[in-house]
Amino acid sequence: MVELILGLIGLTLLLIGAFLEIMGAIGMTRLQGFFNRVHAATVSAIGGSVTPLIGVSLLSLALEELGIRRFYVAGNSLTAALLILILAPAGTHALARAAYKSREVLKNFVYDALEEDKRGLRQ
Amino acid sequence: MDELITRVVEVVILLYLVSAVMFLIRTVKGPTIFDRVLAVDALSYDLAVFMSLLALYLGEPLLAVSVVILTLWIYTLDIVVSKYMEYEKVSI
Repeated sequence: MVELILGLIGLTLLLIGAFLEIMGAIGMTRLQGFFNRVHAATVSAIGGSVTPLIGVSLLSLALEELGIRRFYVAGNSLTAALLILILAPAGTHALARAAYKSREVLKNFVYDALEEDKRGLRQ
Repeated sequence: MDELITRVVEVVILLYLVSAVMFLIRTVKGPTIFDRVLAVDALSYDLAVFMSLLALYLGEPLLAVSVVILTLWIYTLDIVVSKYMEYEKVSI
């Protein structure tokens, strides 16, 4: 009974993650400009990697046929999911900050609050 | 239940392969180095889930051990590239 519930929750998380990963991949291919693609990359990193890794961890607990070795998959997937949850936004933020300061990336913003802060225009 | 899990994992592995091809297109096409690094990031997170699913599908749990190390290397790539592009040197 417990295996059935774990398997169903794991399959649901896996399917949600696959959908978000496809959406992030389409966005990465189709969106224009670097700062729009950051959004697509974050959708595919958090929605498309953390969710299915937790799902794989639950699914491997539900598979009895792997024996005692199924805890390898479960533990490693859960650890990787937590690490991605912490490290992917930090890395993407560092990259976006470097891209904002560089001159290569085209910056056609609608509103640039950081530039106004730098000039001291904003109250 | 095991049969259902195997079928769903097969389909999801195919979806991850398709999105890996899309990220690869952006890696080759990307106009600046930031786009390329961002696409490599997404590709590597995709690879982490792919290896974990493959470990589940093939019944080889040791395939999933390297996923944690792969995650840490992706973060290192981000930080090194962004600090190098920002300050033109990387000091630890």
